[in-house]
Amino acid sequence: MRRPGLAAMRGALRALTLALTLTVACAHAAPSGEGLELDTLLRGLARPVPSSTGFVEARFSALLTRPLVVSGTLEYLGPDALVRTVEQPYRERSEIRGDTVTVERQGEPAQSFTLQRVPEIRSLLASFAALLSGNVAALEQQFELDLHGDARRWTVGLTPRDASVHQHIRSITVSGRGSEPRCLTTFEANDDLTILLLTRAASLSLPAEPDRAWFDAQCRGPSP
Amino acid sequence: MDSRGRTALVAILWGGLVGLCAAYIHATLRVSGDLRLFMPTPRTRAERLILEEVSEGPASRLLMVALSDAESGRGAGSSRDGAVERLAESSQRLASALRSDPAFALVANGADPLATIPASLLPYRYLLSPTLDRERLDAGYLHRQLIERERDLSSPAAGLLEPWLPSDPTLETLKVLESWQPPREPQLIDGVWFDERGSEALMVVETAAGAFDPLAQRIVLEKLRAHFAAVAAPSVRLEVTGPGAFSVLMQSRSEADARLAGILDTAGMVALLLLAYRSLRYVVLGALPLATAGIAALAAVTALFGTVHGITLAFGFTLIGVAIDYPIFILSHRLPGVSAVETARSVWTTLAIAVVGLCVAYVAFALSGVVGLAQLACFNVAGLAAAGLSTRYLLPQLLPAEPRDHGESRLPARLADLSGRIPPLRWLAPALALASVAALAWLPGPLWENDLGRLTPVPAPLLQRYATLQQELGQPDVRYLMTVDGATAEQVLAREERLAGALGRLVARQAVSGFEDAARYLPSASTQERRRAALPGETELRAALLEASRDTAFRAGLFAPFLADIARARDLPPLTPQRVAGTPLELSIGSLLIEREGSWTGLVTLTGVRDPAAVSRLAASSDGAVRLIDLEQASNGLVARQRARILRSIAAAALLLALVVYAALRSVRRAARVLGPMALTTLLTLAALHAAGVALNLFHLVALVLAAGLGLDYGLFFERSAHDPAGRRRTLHALTVCAAAACTVFAVLASSTLPVLRSIGVTVVLGVIGNFGLALLLVRPERSLACSDATPSPP
Repeated sequence: MRRPGLAAMRGALRALTLALTLTVACAHAAPSGEGLELDTLLRGLARPVPSSTGFVEARFSALLTRPLVVSGTLEYLGPDALVRTVEQPYRERSEIRGDTVTVERQGEPAQSFTLQRVPEIRSLLASFAALLSGNVAALEQQFELDLHGDARRWTVGLTPRDASVHQHIRSITVSGRGSEPRCLTTFEANDDLTILLLTRAASLSLPAEPDRAWFDAQCRGPSP
Repeated sequence: MDSRGRTALVAILWGGLVGLCAAYIHATLRVSGDLRLFMPTPRTRAERLILEEVSEGPASRLLMVALSDAESGRGAGSSRDGAVERLAESSQRLASALRSDPAFALVANGADPLATIPASLLPYRYLLSPTLDRERLDAGYLHRQLIERERDLSSPAAGLLEPWLPSDPTLETLKVLESWQPPREPQLIDGVWFDERGSEALMVVETAAGAFDPLAQRIVLEKLRAHFAAVAAPSVRLEVTGPGAFSVLMQSRSEADARLAGILDTAGMVALLLLAYRSLRYVVLGALPLATAGIAALAAVTALFGTVHGITLAFGFTLIGVAIDYPIFILSHRLPGVSAVETARSVWTTLAIAVVGLCVAYVAFALSGVVGLAQLACFNVAGLAAAGLSTRYLLPQLLPAEPRDHGESRLPARLADLSGRIPPLRWLAPALALASVAALAWLPGPLWENDLGRLTPVPAPLLQRYATLQQELGQPDVRYLMTVDGATAEQVLAREERLAGALGRLVARQAVSGFEDAARYLPSASTQERRRAALPGETELRAALLEASRDTAFRAGLFAPFLADIARARDLPPLTPQRVAGTPLELSIGSLLIEREGSWTGLVTLTGVRDPAAVSRLAASSDGAVRLIDLEQASNGLVARQRARILRSIAAAALLLALVVYAALRSVRRAARVLGPMALTTLLTLAALHAAGVALNLFHLVALVLAAGLGLDYGLFFERSAHDPAGRRRTLHALTVCAAAACTVFAVLASSTLPVLRSIGVTVVLGVIGNFGLALLLVRPERSLACSDATPSPP
């Protein structure tokens, strides 16, 4: 896995980075007031560094009979540095710093690969840096944005405008309740799906065998 | 036959002969730009490697391409990014244009073909990967692997790996790709290679044509430029470097230089002869022996060698310009009322000594072992002989009656007067000799140039640029190289596998930082067979996989493609150098595994050699099949040995020359008077060059011999007329014209852009001035000398 750059791999890696960055961004979104504006919501995402949040992630794949679920902490350390620490069911630390992704698993040597062969990711990282600094215009250049709901329960849909990105990621939805972003779902072009539960949603205790319905329910949150 | 008819007959015969030779040359001659013709003959294995493999193997067919943007660097930030995007896009477009052109065998620009295993080699992954050397594909190993894959799917690498899992759950493909990774690779920006500063997009192109076929390389370069012009952004600039580009450059340069030198020399000569003889007819007739010399020289080289180096021609035609001396001796010695044939007969003895002496000197060079120099020698011997003979037997038949005695012109009269009034400077020769020896012995600075690169006429800045790009593109340092010999490719690969372990320990000890050999890409057949034998049987594997995936999340039947691939691998014959032909591996292996005369040599390139002694010990402890080669040492040795050989040739030539002169003059004293100024001038020129900080190369030596040959002419003719004041004035006229002609010719060379031509030009001009001046001062009538010793002079 030290050798990236296979065309087929690009999309998913892109999705991953996107998800990681959005996640941290959304974890701190705190829209306020009754009448919700997209602009207000997104401006609220601007964050100081460093910041961090707990997460639970489920990956649904056509290769698998059940989702793979991991939980841990996400940290945003600046425009080009993100750390994702898995604590359950095993320990793993991933770091994206500049062009290099390093994955360190307990009891194994660290493995790293470079984003050099996936330059699109670099431009995405740059645009998310814009997001985290409250640059809504730059974000709108990359995605078609689509807001549903009200301040109590909202969903933002992000559809990539760039055809080469869209080829791999169909869309991303971020849902939240009031001032609390709860969940981020990435729909990949091959029907794979990743659901990330954040903030309060991530602190819930997991059932023995969580399924798609359980995760969807956590995204929506308890009825008000 | 009356004299008019005789003149016409001679003219027709002469013209016809020259015409025939010209027709033969036109039909047969091939001009080559092969730089190696000017390299010494290799003797040791290391020297052959330098001269043949390094310059003839697939690596020599590589052209390195750098794309830069004329508009980058104007302002920061976004405009710079724009330049990078333009460069990356131009690189991609150019690469795909070149890939569709059969003139280019391989094109690499970072969208690296080795980023994926070529589909045809994919089934071989279990034979190429080292996994089966340590593991068995049993339930335990597969289970550990599947657990790892689950974790991979939950990691940032998920998207990278997911498409591969069904056919490759142990990730053999990635392990093979990892082992193929070049030790160092240029950075990638926007998917293509860039230099370290990120200002140039880089590309490597292998041409189908050989590096030293300048004609084919020229066509290839034109195609490359045409493709570039068609696809690149307008502000992007193209730079191509590599052996092929050099050979094209050198050919066009030597052609251009030869053409320019020819034009300037012709103009200078015509002006000089007009000034000296004030007759256009003399100028035309005087040029005839020279033309004959050129044609005869070319014909001889064509007949003996077939292919002539462009530099031989550039040199040869300039060196042959010396033959203008020969008609000058006749023209200047003519007197009213004496026929040209009589004059020719009277100067012939002296002229013949000069011609024979020079030919002897050049023959010594034919034995130097450098093909280019041998051609040059052949060219000059044939040319000078033809010039001498036609001057003696043909030219006089065509000359009209002479109305004047050139000895009575103003310049020779003044020179004779001047040289007569200078006191006999008996101390001059010993003083100059002493000063020269002192300068050579005590002035600092290297006397000899050992750097092979300076002998090849490729300008140093271009070579430097080549070296920089080579480094940027991750080519290994070429000073140290290991070779592994074997009777077959298989034997070499097996030896390399054994060597790799020991080299790995040296890498761990940081004696070297890396190495690359063919076995890294292609394990030996026996290793592949061993791995194949370690593959489990169908039922066994199926059962192991079932047990291994029981408690994982993977779907049942997901790994069917994996089972199918293993089944294919069980029947695969081992991959051999022949079977990788046409795949990207061919380039990697082709330059590292070489077949010559039925035996095989593997090259092991090293990077960052910090402890050559340790590597040398490792090679010494092998069974003799492994050697460490220090290319720098080998190439210096090559040059030093070459020089020793040439110095011996020169010594032999000097001895032969002295014998020829002594035999002709039959007097030690007279021979010493002829040879003295020439020997002293050689010493002075050497001292002057050394004092100017010039390190001597073998082309300086060639030039010194040439200057000595001219000095021989001057000495002989001054000596001939030492006791006849009128004759001495005519000789002074002849030698002044000769020296002026030589200075004209070699001053043109001295201003050439080619370092080799320049060193010859400067050396000869110095030599001519020294020879003329010293011969004038030292070979004077001695009042004490008995007249009985005087040479007969024309009435």
